[in-house]
Amino acid sequence: MSDYQQYLQERDRIDYLYQKGYKITNIKEDLEGAQIEFQRAEEDKETLHILTAEGRKYFSVRVIQQN
Amino acid sequence: MADLSINLAGIKSPNPFWLASAPPTNSGYQVQRAFEAGWGGAVWKTLGEPIINTSSRFAAISFNGQRVAGFNNIELITDRPLEVNLKEIYETKKRFPNHAIIASLMVEPQQEKWHEIVKKVEDVGVDGLELNFGCPHGMAERGMGAASGQVPALVEKQTYWVKEMAQTPVIVKLTPNITDITATAEAAVQGGADAISMINTINSLAGVDIHSWNTIPHVAGKGAHGGYCGPAVKPIALHMVGECARNPRINIPISGIGGVSNWENAIEFMLMGATGVQVCTAAMHHGFRIVEDMIEGLNNYLDEKGIASVNDLVGKAVHKYSDWGDLDLNYKVVARINNDVCINCNKCHIACEDTSHQCIDMLKDGEGNPILRVREEDCVGCNLCSIVCPVDGAIDMVELPNEFPPMTWNERQAAIGALACAVDTVK
Ligand SMILES: Cc1cc2nc3c(=O)[nH]c(=O)nc-3n(C[C@H](O)[C@H](O)[C@H](O)COP(=O)(O)O)c2cc1C
Repeated sequence: MSDYQQYLQERDRIDYLYQKGYKITNIKEDLEGAQIEFQRAEEDKETLHILTAEGRKYFSVRVIQQN
Repeated sequence: MADLSINLAGIKSPNPFWLASAPPTNSGYQVQRAFEAGWGGAVWKTLGEPIINTSSRFAAISFNGQRVAGFNNIELITDRPLEVNLKEIYETKKRFPNHAIIASLMVEPQQEKWHEIVKKVEDVGVDGLELNFGCPHGMAERGMGAASGQVPALVEKQTYWVKEMAQTPVIVKLTPNITDITATAEAAVQGGADAISMINTINSLAGVDIHSWNTIPHVAGKGAHGGYCGPAVKPIALHMVGECARNPRINIPISGIGGVSNWENAIEFMLMGATGVQVCTAAMHHGFRIVEDMIEGLNNYLDEKGIASVNDLVGKAVHKYSDWGDLDLNYKVVARINNDVCINCNKCHIACEDTSHQCIDMLKDGEGNPILRVREEDCVGCNLCSIVCPVDGAIDMVELPNEFPPMTWNERQAAIGALACAVDTVK
């Protein structure tokens, strides 16, 4: 899969969680990319592992919009 | 005809083109011929205790047939007595009262030595002084030139001593052989400098002869590091000028030096904050008359752009020179190949396939002819294909409409940081 295809998948996953009412609550970046923690209600938590550079840009845009 | 005259910290000259302190400004004969050819100013070959030079002093780098892409020297300051130089400066100034003559000076870092030489050169009517804190070889081993120019405290102190005595504007010429040139530029400001100039030459060894195993150049089989200049150093010099120009603590004029070879280069330096430029290698390569093209080119450029005075260029691009963290990560360009211009040499494909992002495909058009095409979604806009392409206009880097609002790295980090703070607050 090309980086671009992978990015599109990552973007879709991020968009999906936002549509379900989740928001990003924490971001951990390390050698493997970024772990994005989403939360909706107290117990409703999801984590996405974002690998692509475009994906890292995309969730950053969403964080700025959400702030 | 646009107004080309400049005033650099009180030093007036009919145009922004000065000869840098170097062999072209070694004598009155040369400087007078240079003024006749059209140069607006000259920084006299550095004055100090006359030295002894080696024979065999210069070397140059040719690159793919382009001679003097870079130039290297192990020459020292003037080898002529001060009185001889002063007499010729006096005579030259008398013949050319409207041209700028700046005396470049280098003495040991002692207050009385600076006072003595400043008084002597000002007595013959120079328009300004340039302190040579940059020469990287020979003089540096004696505690002068780059040796004192690399220590901010010494730059400040010596500038201060000169300013105690000087009646004319003082330019401090900086060495590029330092990690951060703004440190010594700030020291010059602290010492009271009226202007700074940069760059002097960069430590270098031009080459090693692979047959004799001698250094290039060599003096009886031995070499020593020299100073590098010419077109190859222009990007380094331009960066240093830009760094100083955008530093709010360095609020004095800049004289730009380093690889200036034509009027376009001069404009670049002025846009990046230089009030004028100094030239050495290009004059040594092509002679004094290159200034005719420089003046004509600059004048035509200003007329075409409707700019009345060359001073209106100074610093106009400085605000565009920023830090990486302030660049928009959402700005996107991609390569587009114009197949009617492309000669199918495949250099772009090879460069992209071997060393970049593998996004240029070799395809066949409807008639079975080979064509190259960029998969734009995989192109990161690195520019490499357009850099290696030998045909002008065959590859365009085109801006894509912004998919997202502008976002810099610094903004991104602040937003992510705020997220962590928000979580802390909730906890
Ligand atoms: C052969 C040679 C001798 C030089 N001598 C001096 C000197 O005496 N004083 C000085 O300040 N700079 C000296 N320079 C440095 C030039 O003034 C200038 O800073 C440098 O060459 C960069 O400009 P360019 O790329 O136009 O040559 C010398 C340069 C060369 C090539």
